[in-house]
Amino acid sequence: MHDRLTQSMRASHLLALLFVLASLGLAAIGAVTGDTFYLRLGTEALIFAGLALSVDLLLGYSGALSLGQALYFGIGAYVSALTLMKVPSFWLAMAAAFAASLLAAIIGGLIANRVRGVYFALITFGLAQVFAKVVYNTRELGASDGMIGIPVIEIGFGPFSVSAGSPVGFFLVVLSIIMGLYALTAYLLDTPFGRVLTALKANEKRVPFLGYSVWRARMAAYVLAGLIAGLSGALYPMLRGFVSPELMFFATSGNAVISVILGGVGTLIGAIYGSVLLVILKSIIGSWTEHHLIVIGALFMVCVMFLPKGLIGFVRPRIEALLMRRPQAGPALAEPARLTPAALKSGSAS
Amino acid sequence: MTPVLDIRDLGIAFGGLKAVDQVSFQAQRHRITTVIGPNGAGKSTLFNLISGALRPHRGQVMIDGVDMTGAAPERTKAAGLSRSFQITSLFPDLTVAENLRLAAQVLEPAGRAFLPIRRSQRAMAKTDQMLERFQLVHKRDELAGNLSHGDQRRLEIAVCLASEPKILLLDEPTQGMSHGDTADTAKLVRSLTQDVTVLLIEHDIGLVMSLSDHVVVMHQGRKLAEGAPDIVRADPAVQAAYFGHH
Amino acid sequence: MTAIDYLQFVLAPQVVNGLALGVAVVLVALGLTIIFGMLDVINMSHGEFYAIGAYAALALAAAGVGFWFLLVLVPVLMIPLGMAAERLLIRPVFGSKDRHVTTLLVTFGLGLIVEDVLKIIFGANTQRPPTPIPGASEMFGIILPNYRLFLILVGAAIVLGVAYVVYRTRLGAMVRAAAFDRNMAASLGVPVSLVYAGTFAFGVGLAGLAGVLLAPIYSVFPTMGRDFILLAFTVVIVGGMGSIWGAVVAGLLLTQVQALASLVISPVWTDPIVFGTMVAFLVFRPQGLFGRLGHA
Repeated sequence: MHDRLTQSMRASHLLALLFVLASLGLAAIGAVTGDTFYLRLGTEALIFAGLALSVDLLLGYSGALSLGQALYFGIGAYVSALTLMKVPSFWLAMAAAFAASLLAAIIGGLIANRVRGVYFALITFGLAQVFAKVVYNTRELGASDGMIGIPVIEIGFGPFSVSAGSPVGFFLVVLSIIMGLYALTAYLLDTPFGRVLTALKANEKRVPFLGYSVWRARMAAYVLAGLIAGLSGALYPMLRGFVSPELMFFATSGNAVISVILGGVGTLIGAIYGSVLLVILKSIIGSWTEHHLIVIGALFMVCVMFLPKGLIGFVRPRIEALLMRRPQAGPALAEPARLTPAALKSGSAS
Repeated sequence: MTPVLDIRDLGIAFGGLKAVDQVSFQAQRHRITTVIGPNGAGKSTLFNLISGALRPHRGQVMIDGVDMTGAAPERTKAAGLSRSFQITSLFPDLTVAENLRLAAQVLEPAGRAFLPIRRSQRAMAKTDQMLERFQLVHKRDELAGNLSHGDQRRLEIAVCLASEPKILLLDEPTQGMSHGDTADTAKLVRSLTQDVTVLLIEHDIGLVMSLSDHVVVMHQGRKLAEGAPDIVRADPAVQAAYFGHH
Repeated sequence: MTAIDYLQFVLAPQVVNGLALGVAVVLVALGLTIIFGMLDVINMSHGEFYAIGAYAALALAAAGVGFWFLLVLVPVLMIPLGMAAERLLIRPVFGSKDRHVTTLLVTFGLGLIVEDVLKIIFGANTQRPPTPIPGASEMFGIILPNYRLFLILVGAAIVLGVAYVVYRTRLGAMVRAAAFDRNMAASLGVPVSLVYAGTFAFGVGLAGLAGVLLAPIYSVFPTMGRDFILLAFTVVIVGGMGSIWGAVVAGLLLTQVQALASLVISPVWTDPIVFGTMVAFLVFRPQGLFGRLGHA
């Protein structure tokens, strides 16, 4: 028999593959038609999908609702913007955002992980709010206006280079980074380390009696989530050429939570689908009325009340069943060989 | 030989109430030591003190000659102590196999923590071994929360054992079990002593007498008596306090 | 400016205005903390109920209803709304494993919807009802708007009334019993589900009343709840979630801190100071000043 968590992760991978294929298809259409608007919108949706991914890592796996994940997204965006204005280097900006969000998430984690449950939600909310207001009032960071005039950069990959100004090119860069973050998170969740995180959500009280430090596991999840949010945020100024304190406000954190709930808590890929869905909903509904919040709010509530695993949670079990029935037809991203218990025993004996 | 578990003068008070007071005893290797006593005698509190769930106000807990007094649960676990709970405490949303593997994962070298789970072959093998030993093979992919009460109680013990502890603290393992299941569990606990030292809390006096090598009687937080089962049973103080007149 | 002048024309009015704001925040926080204390629900839509109260007052006033009558009518109208919200939204998820998070999310969704509904009905513009009690009085040489003085008095009366009901009446005892141990209360004959719905509705009614009272000072706009609720949350946390006196003390203290900080440091730094206090409390004293952390 195959491990159930690995199995559902494989179903997520299949959905991820579908997502990438669909994105590539749309990018190709965009390239052919010379579209800018939709590609830019799609890129932005992907960037915010990274933020949602970090919210799902916390909520869906370690069981902690963060209402202030935009804090790290914003830190990533600001640090990236500041770096780009000094040195227009993609890799340097990403490295700086990585370092800054790592540091911030460690500090934030030390504070937020002193409490749990609803207090954790409120403290993350409060932390983001404090920081956002400080940025809002700091003239050196552009205060309420934010910072504009971030140069359009060339992103070098060895001999190749892509301009952040190219709609298709930058879309593909962002797609690969966000899907890379997804793959990394999914990989980590399928390791012994990741399984301890899932144990936190299932029954935190039991975890220390199995020999694992709850604090360390919570910190690890928090810092990892902070890094994912920070790296996603770092892409934002490259796309839009500006940053503003709104990036850290509750609305940004709240949208990420909505994306995760719509897409499906604890499915990882659901966060990404959810973000795209949210953007689509906003622009479709927004094209005939400005009151899109009603529809989004209602969908959100329906998901919370009746579809606790969201859109993907609804679809995924069917895919899992399909994968179970045809075990050899696993997606390309999945593991090479299936280990039977017998194989395991001989493996451990050798 | 040093006793594998040495409790010295252990005590904790909640408010003015001395829940555990000046309790000392030792558990010998590969033996079953049972703590008995009426409700409220402080048995579960004693387990909490030993396993690190509570920090004692006085006294010492020595595990294999090492002072582990007041160490956090993950540290007493690392020192070789594993415990079960009176009220089943599993991971209800995870499968039976995953429950076991989570526990068995500590057997892996730290370096494997960031490799794919299927590389944790020792934990996987241990999981399969536990499934077989506890007759849960056919339930391996069921969610632990969906198991019957008896299966959950057995899984609880299996989870404790999956990490290959030196000492196993079982808090009323037969609680709520049918008669037949209780007998099976007793047989199981007896078989465990090949590998581990067992410290047990148990209410079923028949079971205690037949199963235990050593009995510690608690009453109102204090140790009332200890010794071999039949000696303890004959003790007049124990007779009065525990076997008394219900 | 002499020290006396500073005291009289700068500091004292700031303190009194802070007091009026404090009373306002306490009124909003009161409902929030009661709902948390009794039902264990973080009501993220509380700010929107406050906005509904303000808009209802605006609409009814336009229809010719007098201010004094509104003070009674609006909260009464809010009660069925609160009952319905509890029945339809809170109760279905009340038994879920992660009740805190689920109810928080459901009420968050409700808030989004209400905000937009208000926008559709009343438009996005800010409206300001006329002050029901115009003029100003002079006390000890300090000039104060009458309506703010009225607000302080009425607010104090409401807080005392609520505390009396919760702590001194049989009804309050039933509510507290239901909050303490649902099953025990049910076995004692307390109609638990009615009490829960009633408590939620009561909290919502208080939010509505706050809306009526504060509309003439802080204006009415669809997102008015959003800004105010952050402060109210801080007050509830600092005071201790579920504690009525905690909300009162924390509300008055924090608004004074805010008022003085805006005078001494700068108005723009009041928010970081207030939210920083909230974070500090969550870290070092999560049970708040008068907290009941971990109560069932």
